[in-house]
Amino acid sequence: MHHSPTKSIARKAVIAIMTADIPHDLKKKGNQLLKLIRPLLGGIVGLFLIYRLYVILIVEHPYGPDTWTRLLIAGLILGGVYSLIAIGYTLVYGILFMINFAHGDVMMLGAFGGYFVFEALNALKVGIDAKSNFLNVYPYYSIIIAFIVGMTVAALTGYFLEKIAYRPLRKAPRLVPLISAIGASIFLENAVELLFSPQLRNYTNPDILHRGSGWTIVINHSNVIVPYTGVFSFLLSAILLVIVYTIVRKTRLGRAMRAVALDKKTAALMGVDVDSTISQTFILSGALAGAAGVMFGIHNGLIYYYTGFIPGIKAFTAAVLGGIGNLPGAMLGGMFLGIVESVGPAALGIDFQLKDVLAFVILILVLIFKPSGLLGESLAEEKL
Amino acid sequence: MKKTYLRQSFDTGIIFGIVHIFCVLIAFNAMLGSLLAKIVNVTSSLTSPAVGALIAYAVILGLWAGIASALRQRELSDGKRLLASLVTGSSSGLLAAVLVGIFQLMLILNINPRDYLTNLSLPFMQACLYSLPGLLGILANFFTFLISAFVGGLLVVGWNLHGFASIRHQINNAPKNWIAKLRSGSAKKQLIQKYVFYALLFVLIAILPLEWGSYWNYVIGTVGLYVIMGLGLNIIVGLSGQLVLGYIAFFAIGAYTMALLNAPIPHNLMWGFWPALVLAILLAALAGFLLGLPLMRLRGDYLAIVTLGFGEIIRILLNSDLLTSFSGGPRGVQGIHGPTIFGQVFSDVNYMYLIILAVALAMYVYNRLQHSRTGRAWLAIREDETVARATGVNTNKYKLLALVIGAGFAGLAGAISAAMNQFIGPGDQSLMASINVLCEIIVGGMGNIPGTLLGAFALKGLPELLREVENFRMLAFGALLVAMMILRPEGLIPSQRPTLELPEETPPATSSTLTDAAKIKPPEENPHD
Repeated sequence: MHHSPTKSIARKAVIAIMTADIPHDLKKKGNQLLKLIRPLLGGIVGLFLIYRLYVILIVEHPYGPDTWTRLLIAGLILGGVYSLIAIGYTLVYGILFMINFAHGDVMMLGAFGGYFVFEALNALKVGIDAKSNFLNVYPYYSIIIAFIVGMTVAALTGYFLEKIAYRPLRKAPRLVPLISAIGASIFLENAVELLFSPQLRNYTNPDILHRGSGWTIVINHSNVIVPYTGVFSFLLSAILLVIVYTIVRKTRLGRAMRAVALDKKTAALMGVDVDSTISQTFILSGALAGAAGVMFGIHNGLIYYYTGFIPGIKAFTAAVLGGIGNLPGAMLGGMFLGIVESVGPAALGIDFQLKDVLAFVILILVLIFKPSGLLGESLAEEKL
Repeated sequence: MKKTYLRQSFDTGIIFGIVHIFCVLIAFNAMLGSLLAKIVNVTSSLTSPAVGALIAYAVILGLWAGIASALRQRELSDGKRLLASLVTGSSSGLLAAVLVGIFQLMLILNINPRDYLTNLSLPFMQACLYSLPGLLGILANFFTFLISAFVGGLLVVGWNLHGFASIRHQINNAPKNWIAKLRSGSAKKQLIQKYVFYALLFVLIAILPLEWGSYWNYVIGTVGLYVIMGLGLNIIVGLSGQLVLGYIAFFAIGAYTMALLNAPIPHNLMWGFWPALVLAILLAALAGFLLGLPLMRLRGDYLAIVTLGFGEIIRILLNSDLLTSFSGGPRGVQGIHGPTIFGQVFSDVNYMYLIILAVALAMYVYNRLQHSRTGRAWLAIREDETVARATGVNTNKYKLLALVIGAGFAGLAGAISAAMNQFIGPGDQSLMASINVLCEIIVGGMGNIPGTLLGAFALKGLPELLREVENFRMLAFGALLVAMMILRPEGLIPSQRPTLELPEETPPATSSTLTDAAKIKPPEENPHD
């Protein structure tokens, strides 16, 4: 007898909720506003872009072709790094539908791994001569060791990250693993800060990859330097991208990954070890991020505990830009973002300080106009 | 595939050993030790810690390892549980011994690793060896862990002996009994209790700001501002379930509005405090509206990243040359004029009252919203947006409303903060500040006022009390976020939205705000009938 009034009140509450906001005119007005805002914003952005192109190409000519080439080269190099990191986001998102917020920090740890290898090999003497250290006597081996160590460190970080911070939350609602990932990111950054001090660290490259030197080409009577480090990291990222693409498309692991991405339960019924496939995905994406980290260190020179954050966010932007869950999309998005970031400020006539703003604005615009990205999400899911 | 209990204990020990190595390398042992040393009035610093402090830290970790190991083997006999804790102690001690062995080697070979591992100064490494020569220091480290883990095992086994059964029972049930005692008595008595409590609270709030002195007014004032922001973010994240990561941007908009309207440089507008306060709230809310309008269709995690991007855009713009003439650039805005009362400039006590008033207002608004039709619509959206839409909730409208109101709260906090500190700069607007607020509501418990209060005190008040912890604060936040998500996603004080309408099916007592589908409780019902 006691329950009945409570129940009826509850029923009333449920009915109250169900009948909330029936007024149709209100609803229509809200949706009309939403429908209006997209073309409006699109028009503004489009008009601005056309105006800037007109100014740059026809009216002002602020920079010669040499400057544009320099910017384009810098953009391509940056784009290679972004692509590698973006692939890590895309792989993990494709399988777990979660943003691995700590991915940029995995890259940072890889960069630190390579840094310590170079430092150690630089201190290692192989000969009587004071200058003959391992790093410069065997530069190729040194670079290979640095990449192996950097990738291993990052892959292990990715593996344990998944095992400790994400696996217990696999069945939780989407925001829970995201918050956990944010926590892991903060933890990794601060652990590195406390371990290795907050100071900036200078990458000791072997002499054959000396920063700043490179091939010179003459355009418009002006020397344009194509840096060795840049060409190296661009080529390496291209090779790695091909390898990853092959792994995902052609190997047994890749097939398992795609099966898990489509449907975990069915994949498990078909004999795919879901847990180990997810672990291997994290190892793969971690290794790529580690390689990107070492490349970042070799080309840019300075690393510290916060190094991974901004490239991480931008690589996520790149992944979304290309269509998250879509491998070629991530590569394309990374390249596009790298070039836009490097050429964009000059083309749009804004301060180079604001290049990060440009990347975030692109992210917001993509999500507003085409949330599925340029090439579309290859692993579509229910949208809510 | 099942591991034997000895192997399990060994693994537990290895995990504790790795944690120990990490703690030593970041000098966490010295920090914890110096906290303990403070209690017994021994000086101990991070760079050259007292040996006793380090031993105290190792004993605590060893005890914990032993207790964890013995507790894990619940179904085994007492002897085997003791053996398990011994194995755990020895494996963690082994790792500790290896670590200090390396230290000893570096001391002998005169290698200074400080360039790379910043905490390992020579006095620090010596202290980690307990200032003992040769192998003695290494053995001492090993046996500290072994013995304290064994003692931990003994404690667990002893606790379960029959003699302690009654004490155990009492301690386990103490909180329950205490709450039951409070709730007993007639409704009238409870009402009187409630009024007496509120009266005491009111008197306390009225008197304390006068007695505290300016330092405590500043600290508690900051906590109060964080409470306001926490409540605002709670409306967005806790009630309507949208994760917003750039929340501090709205705070910045409020603060800069106040600053630019009331500082001599750069604009010398001098609107006065109150109009600026109103405009700050309105502008922040408008920013929330404009940001939210195009984003309503996005999935939760995309929204998080976009708002993070928005926060970063605001920060970079404030720092850039572009806006230097408008908003002071990296130097910020100084000399912001505060409100006046009877011709007098606000003192710290006045500010404290203002903040208390603002907090009370924010709590009132939050409470009313939570229990209104709007609040229930938010809950419905949070639990399942598709179902909410299907049942006729205009999800876009309510999500936008949450964003607008939450942003307004941040604007209020920002405006008061700018006037109180008489300064605002772009350095305060970092992503970490946003994440601080998020931590605050997650630690306390999403979607409720006591949780927000607790979170604000824990995250803003505690670091002021424990200055030693400062370096480790963000590290602890990160670990805490992960741990909370795994162990207790509903926060320290779970949201009280009990599932009362179906009492015959007793649901789990702690309903997670994020996981369980909260049933809707009519607000007029008294849960303690």
